[in-house]
Amino acid sequence: MERKIVHLNIADFSVAVERLLDNTLKGKPLIIADPSPRAVVFDMSDEAYGDGVRKGMLLNAARLRCRSAIVLPPRPEQYRNALNRCLDHALHYTPLVERSSGNGHLYLDVTGTHRLFGPAPDIGWRLRNTLRRDLGLDPIWSVAPNKLVAKVASRLVKPRGEYIVGGGEETSFLAPLSLDLLPGVGRADLIRLQHVNIRRVQQAAALSVQQLSVLCDHRARLLYQAVRGIDLSPVRPDGPPGSEFRHQHLFSPDTNQETVVRAAVATLAQQAGHALRQRHLGCRRVAVTLLYSDGVAVVRQAVAKTPVNDDPALQQLALAALYRGWHRRVRLRQIGTTCSLVQHPVQQLSLFAAIDLRRQKNKRISEAFDAIRARCGQDKILRGCQQPLHGGID
Amino acid sequence: MAPDSPVYVGTCGFSYPEWIDAGIYPPGTKSAQMLGRYRQLFPVVELNYTWYQMVRAETVERMLAGDGSTLLYCAKLTRTMTHEIADDWQAQADLYCRGIEPLSASGRLLGVLVQLPPFFRRTPENRSYLARLFDALHPLPLAVEFRHRSWALDSVFKGLAERRITLVSVDGPPLPELFPALDVVTNPDLFYLRLHGRNSQGWRSGSKQQQFDYDYTEDELRQWSRDRIPNMRAACHAGVILFNNHVAGQAVRNAQTMSRLLR
Repeated sequence: MERKIVHLNIADFSVAVERLLDNTLKGKPLIIADPSPRAVVFDMSDEAYGDGVRKGMLLNAARLRCRSAIVLPPRPEQYRNALNRCLDHALHYTPLVERSSGNGHLYLDVTGTHRLFGPAPDIGWRLRNTLRRDLGLDPIWSVAPNKLVAKVASRLVKPRGEYIVGGGEETSFLAPLSLDLLPGVGRADLIRLQHVNIRRVQQAAALSVQQLSVLCDHRARLLYQAVRGIDLSPVRPDGPPGSEFRHQHLFSPDTNQETVVRAAVATLAQQAGHALRQRHLGCRRVAVTLLYSDGVAVVRQAVAKTPVNDDPALQQLALAALYRGWHRRVRLRQIGTTCSLVQHPVQQLSLFAAIDLRRQKNKRISEAFDAIRARCGQDKILRGCQQPLHGGID
Repeated sequence: MAPDSPVYVGTCGFSYPEWIDAGIYPPGTKSAQMLGRYRQLFPVVELNYTWYQMVRAETVERMLAGDGSTLLYCAKLTRTMTHEIADDWQAQADLYCRGIEPLSASGRLLGVLVQLPPFFRRTPENRSYLARLFDALHPLPLAVEFRHRSWALDSVFKGLAERRITLVSVDGPPLPELFPALDVVTNPDLFYLRLHGRNSQGWRSGSKQQQFDYDYTEDELRQWSRDRIPNMRAACHAGVILFNNHVAGQAVRNAQTMSRLLR
């Protein structure tokens, strides 16, 4: 059966939520960033974007470009709540709803629901109407046979609108578009392709995997599929609402010292572990987001077979993700972790006494850390791999 | 005008996955292949997607390139000019005219359907809006479908006739607020009949799967083919008859019956 994916994208999500919370912000240029001097822009309104403000830009530089902008600190809890409310509405149509990066993107797999809810475009339209009526949010919506094409379709109509791409139309839909609209095609790929004057999807689609591998090496297969609109990745429901744990650290000054970066990862893993253990949850996926000094952002992730919540296991996952994405010599400005695929940890008891003693030990140590921190404060006890970090941790 | 002027029978929309389940399209048919399959069944189709999203010239060109060269089209006007009237509706009307241009230029656009919602009643503001909308969409071949009975007035029909805009005849459930089933001809170029099914219970359910779940009997269709369509046909150069009861492929079967009755 042909897949039907509905993509909802609330443009400038955090700005949209801030404007919901405070009506007087409507129409005014808005920058979301921590008020500290070395903070980077987390999000911005269309007005600020028009003045040249971009995500990841230093706040001071952003203020110079848009002097009239109102600067507000990010409120992740509020954004998460708003997204969870969107998720509640989406779950009415299908249990297969994926939140992407927590920034106002929802993917719904509505394949096979036509007898219940009618055609997929009707679901997109109804859901958008519901969100507009109940939450005051006005998302872009698109319908396509997979997540990749749906995301491109949404990008085409940003900041508002809708786009429907039928199954079998993926290639012809993408052909005339610019390559930089394709998710997953990074700046490095674009530059290499531009060197041989390839800027459009149809130009890249004319190349074989072998030809692409000359330009893009191990990413050739991925690119080959992307330009043809092939994306077999499933819509992955995240579990119960509120089950994504994000933490981030801003380096001060920017750094590319491995010990400092590893220490930050350890601290972030400890924070994530603490949050998970408090809720008696574990996670299977840890994504690490690296923001370099020049504004380039890289996200890589690592997945475990079973849910984990002790600090060393989370740290191992985060380090695996870190080394998958950390290849540049440019200094890092910010690092973040996102724990997803959150579930209740399932412990299969063994019939025999082959218990993983190391894991048990780690678990007990993590719980002891939690108890001490609960009594004495978060920064009173550290593991040896951590360093007291200067700079804020959310 | 002649009693044997051409009448094209088809359905409202063609891209329904459930039509694969119903055996209308073969198993495994992709959305992009459905129009090609549809063309083998009927000579005309009403485009539904243009109601959900603004029509784009490149999409229309792609569609025309892949459909052979004989299928005729009617296209719904986008919802931002009918159901969710946007502040910038005039810009939307311009966009629509530009987007539909390749279809218009191909000579295969029979009509643009301005389908107005039940809450669009005959008020001075709405009358004024409608007049401005018609002006903005000129010279597209417009057909207007009212869903509220307050528009069922001779003065409305006269106004449409002066503008050579087709009044859409509708067949729907016998509900008091709905626009009645009439065979009034306001445009000698085209008559336009839409059959929604007569599911009174499902009509207000909020679910299209219930609203348009109806299977016409041959007798019900004969009421139109024998009693009303001949008069409309005699007054027009051409006509379209479109079935909207798409659930479970009923529209296809009913349209095929109607074609047979008209032969």
